[in-house]
Amino acid sequence: MIQIKDLHKSYKMGKNSLHVLKGINFNVEEGELVAIMGSSGSGKSTLLNILGMLDSSDSGEYILDNVPIKDLNETKAARYRNKFLGFVFQSFNLINYKSAAENVALPLYYQKVPRKERQEKALKYLEQVGLKEWAGHLPSELSGGQKQRVAIARALAAEPKVLLADEPTGALDSKTSYEVMDLIQKINDAGNTILIVTHEPDIADMCKRIVHLKDGVIIEDKKIEQVRAEQYV
Amino acid sequence: MFDRDIWQEIYHSISNNKLRTFLTGFSVGWGIFILVLLLASVKGMQNGFTLQFSDDATNSIFVRTGTTSLAYGGFEAGRRIQMTNDDIEYIKRSFPKDVEYISPRVYQNTSARYKSETGSYNIQAVYPDHQAIEKTIVNKGRFINTNDLLNASKVAVIGRKVEEDLFKNEDAIGKFVEFNGLPFRVIGVFTDDGDDNAERNIYAPTSTYQKMYGQTNHIDQIALTYNPNYDLTEALAFSDRLENVFRRRFKIAPQDQAGIRIFNYAEVFEDISNFTGGLDIAVIIVGLLILLSGIVGIGNIMVFIIKERTKEIGVRKALGAEPWSIIKLVLFESVFITALSGFIGLGIATGLLAIVGPSIKTSAFANPSVSMSIVVTATIILIVAGVLAGLIPAMKAARVKPIVALSDK
Repeated sequence: MIQIKDLHKSYKMGKNSLHVLKGINFNVEEGELVAIMGSSGSGKSTLLNILGMLDSSDSGEYILDNVPIKDLNETKAARYRNKFLGFVFQSFNLINYKSAAENVALPLYYQKVPRKERQEKALKYLEQVGLKEWAGHLPSELSGGQKQRVAIARALAAEPKVLLADEPTGALDSKTSYEVMDLIQKINDAGNTILIVTHEPDIADMCKRIVHLKDGVIIEDKKIEQVRAEQYV
Repeated sequence: MFDRDIWQEIYHSISNNKLRTFLTGFSVGWGIFILVLLLASVKGMQNGFTLQFSDDATNSIFVRTGTTSLAYGGFEAGRRIQMTNDDIEYIKRSFPKDVEYISPRVYQNTSARYKSETGSYNIQAVYPDHQAIEKTIVNKGRFINTNDLLNASKVAVIGRKVEEDLFKNEDAIGKFVEFNGLPFRVIGVFTDDGDDNAERNIYAPTSTYQKMYGQTNHIDQIALTYNPNYDLTEALAFSDRLENVFRRRFKIAPQDQAGIRIFNYAEVFEDISNFTGGLDIAVIIVGLLILLSGIVGIGNIMVFIIKERTKEIGVRKALGAEPWSIIKLVLFESVFITALSGFIGLGIATGLLAIVGPSIKTSAFANPSVSMSIVVTATIILIVAGVLAGLIPAMKAARVKPIVALSDK
């Protein structure tokens, strides 16, 4: 699903150049649930941004679903993001004046799906995350966990190839975090490929594979026995 | 393009910032309001000028002759040019399509007497057509007619002031008044909107005066009106043709200004319309500058709104919004605010003019109003203004990097 070869990225900080990614190589198969771990400054967020086409690499190869991702202009990047990727953010990033259903329908709007079909699909995915009866509520009327579930529903609505989650539980207490992880595991069980950036070991343990980054290189890449979140809920 | 989502976005953005939207909208509405009022004022001035001259027929031409100042065609300078009745017939024959009304004028000073009252007045001996040329309003009796002219009747149409002076409280119609000792019957009394002096005039048939004073057919001036359907260029072309014909007829040098003078009201109107045209342009420039400050205001607000919504724009981009859809969002909002507030300003201004305008009528200013074309132009200006106001902020929005917008740290 994802093939990355010798990926480099550096940021210019005035005169100095900060080499953040120093040759990353890794592959992700379809249906994997991967945790990307590392302390802050390890380059994990940069890697996720490049995977998410929010940022470009300096050199190296990135192939997503057999499509080489390079030389993207804004419009093309937007189309690829819409088609291939679903995003889940730490701070949810729901649009505050749109109801839960409208938020979920937003990626479909950019796919130019007709209004009626959008609404039906939005309700379907809200139901999947257990929030069907909250469809008409604004984000301000939802709890943190509910917001993140709406965000996950939104990421799923576009039926992406890969789900990218940047610290999805970072703003949640541990009980709610496990609920969200339970949901993510179930989505993964259904066959979706998911990448999670986290620095919490218990969250990483709930994935099937942990990739450890330090100072811009992968120092460890291992498959693990998944801890089911269900038992803590 | 105009789906419900766009309207929803605009609605949310506006309703979240009511005061700010109102204040910016106000500046554009105000700009348009002033622009329309200024243009209407110019129109009012134009109307005022037209009113000033509409006392006389505005399509009139006056032909006067004098003494030549240049030798020409075998004649020495200093020759007196005298027009006669034949020239009237000649014009009628030469320009049947151009001439509407035509009349000679023979001027005569007279001392008039009725009973013990006397006064000195100007007599103009004219044809019946003269009533239409001067737009003389006869409010008692009648004007000179063809019979008076054929019979060289000693009849007179006197101005309201003349009646007042000579007849005091009597009705002048049918009474005999002496002009230089000869009795004339008063057949009509006229008024003139233009000025009181015109009401001190007396009209008599041309033939009467030509017979009384030496059996001549001399005339002092020719007054005529041309085809009222003529526009300015056609009118000026006609007076040029007329002048050429007369110069040839009387053998006057083309550059001789003293021998013949043809005065065309159209020339005055050309000057006035040039003047008000210039004023129009000045007003449009001033109005647009005022509008510009409104546009800058809206642009400013849009930049602010985008700054506030950077994160939201980042999210939209991450979800697959193409730059164009972001630009569209900002532009529509900008055009919507500009157009809406502009239309309100336009509506108030035109409403005000419709109510107050018709009641304004002074000597130099009458019925300020706006034409449909101004309204249409203003609308186009508003939409363009909205696009301009939104353009820079929209580009800014489209350049928002989702990665920067989304960074929580």
